[in-house]
Amino acid sequence: MSNQNVKSLDVSAKTVDEAIEQGLAQLQLRRDQVDIEVIKEGKRGVFGIGAEDAVVRLTPRSRPSAEQAEQKAPPQPPADNQPAEAPPATTPVEEVARRHLGALLRYMGIKAEIKVKSAPELVEGNEEAPLVLDITGRDLGILIGRQSQTLRALQYILRLMVSKEMGSWQPVIVDVESYRIRRHQSLRRLAERMAERAVANKRRVVLEAMPAYERRIIHLALKDHPAVYTKSVGSDENRKVTIIPK
Amino acid sequence: MSSMKELVEYMAKAVVNDPDSVIVREIEGSNSTIFELSVTPDDMGRVIGKQGRVANAMRTLLRVAAVKEGKRVTLEIV
Repeated sequence: MSNQNVKSLDVSAKTVDEAIEQGLAQLQLRRDQVDIEVIKEGKRGVFGIGAEDAVVRLTPRSRPSAEQAEQKAPPQPPADNQPAEAPPATTPVEEVARRHLGALLRYMGIKAEIKVKSAPELVEGNEEAPLVLDITGRDLGILIGRQSQTLRALQYILRLMVSKEMGSWQPVIVDVESYRIRRHQSLRRLAERMAERAVANKRRVVLEAMPAYERRIIHLALKDHPAVYTKSVGSDENRKVTIIPK
Repeated sequence: MSSMKELVEYMAKAVVNDPDSVIVREIEGSNSTIFELSVTPDDMGRVIGKQGRVANAMRTLLRVAAVKEGKRVTLEIV
């Protein structure tokens, strides 16, 4: 099948990934030989109700022969519109982090699995999504600890180990059963609710003591709020975010 | 089964510049175990950290292993 005269091809399937796969098969091209545009993300729906197929448009990159494509060595970095389900290539950092974390857990006597993912929900705006190692298994509360102290210790040690081996600072994130992601979301909701209360009562609201990165989430959540500003008061373990009506 | 001594060794070796001089001594008491970690003088800062941050993180993780074994532990850097 010649792809020289094919301008572009729209394919629909259940998921973006499937659509891309089918399209590539039809065009007999590899992923790095086409430009992929996601036209519709598609929806899963509930029990098939409201489900919508994903649609992608594949446009073969103009290039005289397949041989030349072979020489174009580095694979294209994933485009922004690439679906999250696409299996990410294993990076060296990921490998090193997984190995060290696996060993730590084993020596700690913890039976668990490590899932690697990227978590765009953990960062603000266009910061790069960090590499997250999520530990999953039973009875892992012990790995989180009071005020997530144990989880932070685990992340700190792992970052040191990985950074040492890689020779550069690697801000990998360690999570347990998606605790950080859930906590992040609940802190943002808390920030909104308490800001409303501060405004309604025209009084400052003092939140419970939190570790630095949790306070940061609150500060960031309210930084553009029209009617309140935030400030941390107290020291060390006792530092609390205060929401103050303007 | 956890292996607390290996845990301390593994953590220490991975953060120092001279892993070969990492030595961990396990001193069993009647109801608690002491781990003595020694490294070359140049690496002391790396296992202690600013305001003891590295040492405290290692203690926290060691405590998880100890809880699993139902033991009390201390980590000392000597």
